[in-house]
Amino acid sequence: MNILAQEMLSAVMQPVETARGLPNEFYTDPEVHVAEKRVLFASTWACAGFVSDIPKRGDANPVSFLGQPLLMVRGNDDDIKVFQNVCRHRGMILVEEKTTLRSTIRCPYHSWCYNFDGSLRTTPHVGGPGNNLHDCIKREELGLIEVRSHVFMGMIFVNLDGKAPAFNEHAATLLEQWKEFVDRPLFHAGQDSSFKLNVRCNWKLAVENYCESYHLPWVHPGLNSYSRLEDHYNIVEPGAYSGQGSVVYNSQLDATRKFANFDGLSDKWNTGAEYVSLYPNVLLGVHRDHTFAIMLDPQSHDQTIERVEIFYATEEMCGPEMADLRQKNAKMWKDIFIEDIFVVEGMQKGRSASLYDGGKFSPVMDVPTYCFHEWVARRFTGK
Amino acid sequence: MNAVTDLQQRMLRAHHAGDNAALPTLYLEAARLREAQGEVDAACFFYTQAYVYALDAGDDATAGEARNRLKTHGRDR
Repeated sequence: MNILAQEMLSAVMQPVETARGLPNEFYTDPEVHVAEKRVLFASTWACAGFVSDIPKRGDANPVSFLGQPLLMVRGNDDDIKVFQNVCRHRGMILVEEKTTLRSTIRCPYHSWCYNFDGSLRTTPHVGGPGNNLHDCIKREELGLIEVRSHVFMGMIFVNLDGKAPAFNEHAATLLEQWKEFVDRPLFHAGQDSSFKLNVRCNWKLAVENYCESYHLPWVHPGLNSYSRLEDHYNIVEPGAYSGQGSVVYNSQLDATRKFANFDGLSDKWNTGAEYVSLYPNVLLGVHRDHTFAIMLDPQSHDQTIERVEIFYATEEMCGPEMADLRQKNAKMWKDIFIEDIFVVEGMQKGRSASLYDGGKFSPVMDVPTYCFHEWVARRFTGK
Repeated sequence: MNAVTDLQQRMLRAHHAGDNAALPTLYLEAARLREAQGEVDAACFFYTQAYVYALDAGDDATAGEARNRLKTHGRDR
């Protein structure tokens, strides 16, 4: 990183009262985006998919995450593993489309076969026709390249460089803050609880917008009727996550029916809800009767797919009799997130203003956003 | 049409039709024929094909038999 960039990032790491935001290049420069893949994603835990993508044993879901071909597999023991989606032989992509495998992962090129745990099962004709053995082909050394992974609240996190602290250490504070939610099963109803938004902005702008409540009265005026700005509080955990909480959550989807609550929640959650950005690319929301997770999937420096998945407290909530209510809930959230699109896309356009200096934070209202900028700057500078 | 030609044609039809469930037993049949004729290399070629297609199709019985024959001949483990 050059001296000028170092100086600009130094300005980001000042106290919130005097700090500047990240420089334009962090939103507009494809080279910075390439660097981010390493500095902000590969070296920590990032969400690359959802458990609901592979609900059954043998399910395999190939994804391209930050340009990396990954394969998520649910094994016969229900264990979920993530591999680099390439054969150890000639580097052929193993699985092109989502599928249910019967008992092996077979490379379509020369049919090297792998077990669901990644171990190499057989190497057809590798020692000549009809001979599947050769002294130089040591199967125990040629299993699929496993990517470190961890399942958390319905999401599949990966640590691409394999060097991050254990996930539970990485997210320790959030696990403690949300201990009432994190260790319980979450139920997903399929398509009606799932949607995607394609937004023309850098992924960081989605994080920044999500984690602050300052914009709510202006961008989401519909929320003013029951969730006013003063009903919100900041959540700030430097180096890990930031967001906002509300003290007036009150689901009003239907006059008579409600989703079941999670069992045994403390009184805080009767009317409480919290929304945090878990760095780098996860936006989470928890309520007494449902949670949601948004995976930000950066497609380029100025294009992001927001994938939203909603989870409920009991299996019954995922049945057909609750389908209309689930659809209403998904629509409510989708409408809110769509309201945010002009903002994040507008900020993206604004980052082409050459004299823009990263902006100014409100020391009261923008602290969660500042916290994220500071995290980015510290990871880039190693400070 | 002799048995080998008939088998080859059934294999080709299964490949063209994408009938992956039929392939393991067809290749197993070919392997048995060659083994009965004392053609171990050819038999193991077909056992290997049967084994791989059986793994792919989840045909445990055929996969097990093919693998056992390959192991017997020192061609897999």
